[in-house]
Amino acid sequence: MKILLEFARGPLFRLTFAVMVLGLARILILDIWGMIEAYRRAGDKNIPWKLTMIRTVEWLFPVKRVMHHRPLYSLTGILFHIGLLTVPLFLFAHVQLWRSGIGFGWFTLPRLWADILTIMTIVMGAGLFFGRLGHSKSRVISRKQDYLWPLLLIIPFVTGFICANLGVAPKFYHLVLLTHILSAELIFVLLPFTKIAHCVLMPLSQIVMTLAWKFPAKVDEDICVTLNKKGAPV
Amino acid sequence: MSIAILTDVTKCIGCAECVVACKQVHGLDKDLPRVWQKNDGLSACSWTSVIQRPGNHYIRKQCRHCLEPACAASCPVGALHTTKSGAVIYDDQKCLGCRYCMTACPYGIPRYDWDRRVPYVRKCILCFERLERGLQPACTTACPTGATIFGERAELIAEGHRRIKAEPEKYLNRVWGEHEVGGTSVLYVSDIDLDFMAYKPGLDIALPTTTKKAMESVPPAFLGMGATMLGLNWIIKRRQKLQGQSEDKED
Amino acid sequence: MNRVHVTKTILWMLTGLALAVALTRFAFGLGVTTNLTDTTPWGLWIGFDVMAGVALGAGGFVITAIFYILRQEKFHPLVRPAVLTALLGYIAVILSLLVDLGLPWNIWHMMIYWNPHSPLFEVGWCVMLYTTVLLLEFSPVPLAETSRWANIRRVLMKFRFPLVLLGIMLSTLHQSSLGSLFLITPFKSYPLWYTPLLPILFFISAIALGLMMVSFESLCTSWLYRRPAENNLVARLGSAARWVLGFYLLVRLLDLKISGNLALIFSGNWESWLFIAELLIMAIIPIILFSIPRVRHSATGQWIGSFLVVAGTILNRVNVGGLTMVGTTGEYYFPSWMEVSISAGIVAALALVFLFAIEKFQIWETRPREPESDPHVQPAFSRGGQTWLGSPSVAGRTRYSLAFIIAVAIGFALIPAHKIDSSGVVDIVAARALGGDTLFVDGNRDGFGVAFPHAAHIKAGKGKESCVGCHHMNLPLDRQSGCYSCHRGMYLTADAFGHDWHASAAGGNVACVDCHTRGEDRTAATARPCADCHKDLMPEGAAIKVNTYTVPSYADAMHDLCIPCHRQAAATNSDHPDLYRCPTCHNGKSPDWPTLAGRQPWKRRLNNHNILPVVSAGIEGPTP
Repeated sequence: MKILLEFARGPLFRLTFAVMVLGLARILILDIWGMIEAYRRAGDKNIPWKLTMIRTVEWLFPVKRVMHHRPLYSLTGILFHIGLLTVPLFLFAHVQLWRSGIGFGWFTLPRLWADILTIMTIVMGAGLFFGRLGHSKSRVISRKQDYLWPLLLIIPFVTGFICANLGVAPKFYHLVLLTHILSAELIFVLLPFTKIAHCVLMPLSQIVMTLAWKFPAKVDEDICVTLNKKGAPV
Repeated sequence: MSIAILTDVTKCIGCAECVVACKQVHGLDKDLPRVWQKNDGLSACSWTSVIQRPGNHYIRKQCRHCLEPACAASCPVGALHTTKSGAVIYDDQKCLGCRYCMTACPYGIPRYDWDRRVPYVRKCILCFERLERGLQPACTTACPTGATIFGERAELIAEGHRRIKAEPEKYLNRVWGEHEVGGTSVLYVSDIDLDFMAYKPGLDIALPTTTKKAMESVPPAFLGMGATMLGLNWIIKRRQKLQGQSEDKED
Repeated sequence: MNRVHVTKTILWMLTGLALAVALTRFAFGLGVTTNLTDTTPWGLWIGFDVMAGVALGAGGFVITAIFYILRQEKFHPLVRPAVLTALLGYIAVILSLLVDLGLPWNIWHMMIYWNPHSPLFEVGWCVMLYTTVLLLEFSPVPLAETSRWANIRRVLMKFRFPLVLLGIMLSTLHQSSLGSLFLITPFKSYPLWYTPLLPILFFISAIALGLMMVSFESLCTSWLYRRPAENNLVARLGSAARWVLGFYLLVRLLDLKISGNLALIFSGNWESWLFIAELLIMAIIPIILFSIPRVRHSATGQWIGSFLVVAGTILNRVNVGGLTMVGTTGEYYFPSWMEVSISAGIVAALALVFLFAIEKFQIWETRPREPESDPHVQPAFSRGGQTWLGSPSVAGRTRYSLAFIIAVAIGFALIPAHKIDSSGVVDIVAARALGGDTLFVDGNRDGFGVAFPHAAHIKAGKGKESCVGCHHMNLPLDRQSGCYSCHRGMYLTADAFGHDWHASAAGGNVACVDCHTRGEDRTAATARPCADCHKDLMPEGAAIKVNTYTVPSYADAMHDLCIPCHRQAAATNSDHPDLYRCPTCHNGKSPDWPTLAGRQPWKRRLNNHNILPVVSAGIEGPTP
């Protein structure tokens, strides 16, 4: 068990964390690169920059849109995101680990706040799951992974909370801690390759949508060549 | 003047006071056995050490301060150089960390700060700052038995020979450092053979002379190659031209 | 996937791995990432990357000499690739130097601090100048892609001949000076490789290697892009190389004959076999192969021949650069995987640049293409937005970047955390002392230790009550718990506090507040001192006070324990003024202990001693 734990928080952590950071950087760069190329080839280069910017900001801080449609569900989502981002980043125990690993740490949450936020995240995560399950329109547009994600995301929160607060016999303590680490690492690995990548792509989504409707110049001819019908009318 | 250290192996009791003094004077860290360390006690934190040989013989090891140091000759930026007094010292502001000096040293003396992000070459600098202040090196000052003493090189060589002459049955008839690699500033008289201290015993050539010849032929080689190439080019050009003319005539 | 894709994916992975390793090397230093030692300060990066890298870049000056100086116009197709390879080769040398140098940010010091006596100074200058020359020689090729810098291009074209001439002159110097580097180590190099002719030998072999490297790379790219190779030209190069190699062989053997070391070839030790293998690979077999016209003109023959020369010359450089010194230094060196991955990564990165250049610029007569870069293939979808943006080459881009980041992550995962944490300190576990009235204290069980007259100390300390003067009482009812039970590491501090055991004994996580202050973050700082519960730890009169949860290394603990008392005793007892000095204990005169691990007691070493701050009088002593 000890060896497994050492492995999970040593090499495996470095591997998965690097995959996450580099993977997110990679898709960000690839998307920006693709956008630049799309812009360069676009036949119509009129982009409504200002409007796109405003929409991006609106979506990044969705104060205005919260009450728009299913306000409770939206609010649950927002609270879930707050907990999801703050607790792992600013938990004292985590920062302590960074401190011993890389030599410096940063601001940490008071213990009580961390506990409250953790419970809130767990509750909101469950709320998101049931909100999706319980709404017929959501069910239609949901894939399997959409249900699994909130559940997977709250596993490290539940296990982390158990490790930090509740009395667990040492034998199970290691097991719970291992679950905590491994589930977090699973999230790290999946992050850049699934829809959770929106954590870095979100600011780009509006501009991508806009650009996606700009067809490349002379695209009609290219399509004909690709379909082996050169010279055919479009 | 050329200064030197004479170590009398027969007098050394192995107390390592010299090592302690050296560490104190230069503010060196505690030593730890590292994977890259050679097993002779020298390290980036120990610029001198005491080696024990069978039969309770203690030999102090330190930089020999060659009169014609291979390390200084090899250093591309002149970070290692000899002072007027004869100490071979190191300027860490100049060093770029190529470690050619470590490869070139016939005694394998220079050590490296392998564990540091900003590593330097480390070795005995014969306390050249203390010498400037009119003091002796820390090690010779600290020696409780007078086994290692400081003075003028010529005088110490004479002193070594005097000791050998006085007690020929005690000493081996040789002052180590008098002739090796063109002479060194750290001398030894001993009752046991000290050849194990060098990679190759009996190497009496000054090492810088080996590369000197090659380095001196650099400018002629440079210009000679240029001239040869230009000459060849001229000949071939002319030949091709003539060939072209003759072909033209044939046409 | 096709050849080009597979190759590029592998190259990207090697580059990624090297990137992770390079970051580690710059973050933690050379010691923990390489297998270099004080005895072997130069390793793979110098032996392979620098020594062989410069030699492999010799193709540039050899082919330009053939084309511009000797005016052999038919070699024109090989000029651009040769110059490009040379340029990239030299960049590789500089990159690996940046990794290998301890203080790479000082590399420019060679420009301002001169030591013209040093061969390395000369090599450094020539490499700097020649890389610039190569850049100027090559830059007209990319500049031809745009009309913006046409003027610059025209000027460069005008100065092409003097540039080529300068390049050849500089190459002559540093190719030979790389050999001069090792003239200064006659005491270490094996006589079969050491000769005053080293610079000349290096130069001649560089010419042969230059010819063969150009051939090799022509064959490689033709295989990769299914492009017809320049087999006729390669055959001609092979023909020329055989004369150069023949001359090289002659000079080398004659030199050995004159110096009287020829007999060493047949002495049967590993150096002699290495020498024979080296000569066979780099000279003899290629000469034979290239002397047979049928073999010389066949693709297979050219592959084998050029590969042998390239491999053999690399072997030669590695041999001269350090491998053959092993016999003298007695220390074996094998590069760590991190050194290997940096070497491989630099080569891979430059190979990617090479492939990029031959796809984008007019290097060969026709530009080879990535098979999928045709704009008329089925589009691929980008992952993030599920929309198709940009050209179909997105597929390649996606694949390479994925390979790259996975390799970087694997690199980080493989970092030897233990070696880095301990800064290269040899990890030795301490062990129990042996014996009766006199104990043999040999913490690391290697036969080197100290004989400790225990009974005498008890007597001097006035009986059983003096135990607490030296021993901890860290276990309940304990009188003499073994030092090694807490001071586990011979040289490293250890964490002695069993946190999990304490938590378990106190009733799991609910019991945290038994020790940690309620409401505060649970760290060592907020916990109660051990002695609060373990009153036995510090009985009255105990010499050692336990304040921290970490314990000093075994060696430190022993020295800390003994030296102060000995010092005190030496000061008060004029019979033993040297009582505190190292040889008092490390004296080699202790009773005849059974030889442990096959070592003799006299070998008890004085080196590797962790000298503690012993206050010594009179260092600011009299002037000479």
